Amino acid sequence: MRALHPFTLIGIALALPALAWLLPFAWGGLAPMCLALALCVGAGTRGESGFGVLRAALLTAAPFWFFLFLLHGIAGMLTTAPRLTTMIASFLWLVAVLPPARLVEAMIAAGWPSSAAFLLSATLSAVPALRERARRIVDAQRCRGLPTRGGPLTRIAALRALALPLVLSALHEVDERALALETRGFSGSVRRTPLAPPPDPAAERLVRWGLLLGCLGLLVWRIV
Amino acid sequence: MSVRLLALIPVAVAINLALSAAVDAVGLPLFLDTTGTILATALAGPVVGIATGALTSAVNSLRNPTFWPFVVVQVLVALYAWGAARAGWFRSLAVAVPAGLVLGVLAAVTSTPISYLIFKCATTGGIALTTKLGQLLGLSDLGACFFGSFVSDFADKAVTFALVTTVLHALPRRTAARFPLALRAIGRSAA
Repeated sequence: MRALHPFTLIGIALALPALAWLLPFAWGGLAPMCLALALCVGAGTRGESGFGVLRAALLTAAPFWFFLFLLHGIAGMLTTAPRLTTMIASFLWLVAVLPPARLVEAMIAAGWPSSAAFLLSATLSAVPALRERARRIVDAQRCRGLPTRGGPLTRIAALRALALPLVLSALHEVDERALALETRGFSGSVRRTPLAPPPDPAAERLVRWGLLLGCLGLLVWRIV
Repeated sequence: MSVRLLALIPVAVAINLALSAAVDAVGLPLFLDTTGTILATALAGPVVGIATGALTSAVNSLRNPTFWPFVVVQVLVALYAWGAARAGWFRSLAVAVPAGLVLGVLAAVTSTPISYLIFKCATTGGIALTTKLGQLLGLSDLGACFFGSFVSDFADKAVTFALVTTVLHALPRRTAARFPLALRAIGRSAA
């Protein structure tokens, strides 16, 4: 599966939840869910078991089953929960089998502007870095004796003391990033040449079109 | 789009997603996951804000794909923040907090149909439990769903607007002047 073109992997991950919602209950919900969960099991690498992906999908989906049962009883839960589980499992499978760098290469090869590829890769690297900085700021402010418990006003004052340095330091970083991009002559409109574009065989393109047309056909069938 | 505005988008997305650490530390029932979207819009306009909101939903979906359908709310927040910035509603907390409360109502109205049609109102734990409370109070399914979304969004958006106002006023004037909308948003004119 990992050898498939990134757009094919995305097509499968989108088609499964679409089928789960479009196909009539009960098999409509259950069949795509079983398929998505089976894909999760097969998403392991040499170092990791695919059951890790399956476990993450089931743990993410479990609260939805519980809350659907709480709000709508067993019938409501069985109608909606398999569809949500399909959506969760297929996206977590996608994340497990598609490295962002490979997606960026495919986007560049397909002629997407380099700004789109930059946004994707820069965001995926910025989020964990800022989360780590947020944790450091929380620890530092606690060391300085910042009260983070008490009444709502005390907590909101603490929130300000935690959030303000985080956001201001992040905005300060914008200048550095812009300067780095300008120094490298980055321009969003110029087409780049991908270093190792993933192969995109005709059969896979056909599969993608098939998935799209199949979902559209089902939608029309359900409406009519 | 200039390189500076392009560089702002990933940072604003990271702000949206990193503030949860601060919220967890103080234990308030808030999300603050639109702070970066509102801030980016107030600094650089609706295109940057919408891109920030859409990218936030996309990155959040990698962890939990149930966030993706709510991308519509992020777009609404960006458009509202653009209007707020043009009107100078970030000039003081006294103006920003009511503006945030109005956004809370609009966000609840927008997220209710998504939550009802796709998730049957079983989104996050807090919202699901508030929806159950609404059902017990005798509200219809849709009414209880709105009640759950409203309770979670109302205070959240007011605090978010207050936080963005504080940030905009704390920005050095030279930094603020580098962004097209920043000075107008806080009711000052460029020197």
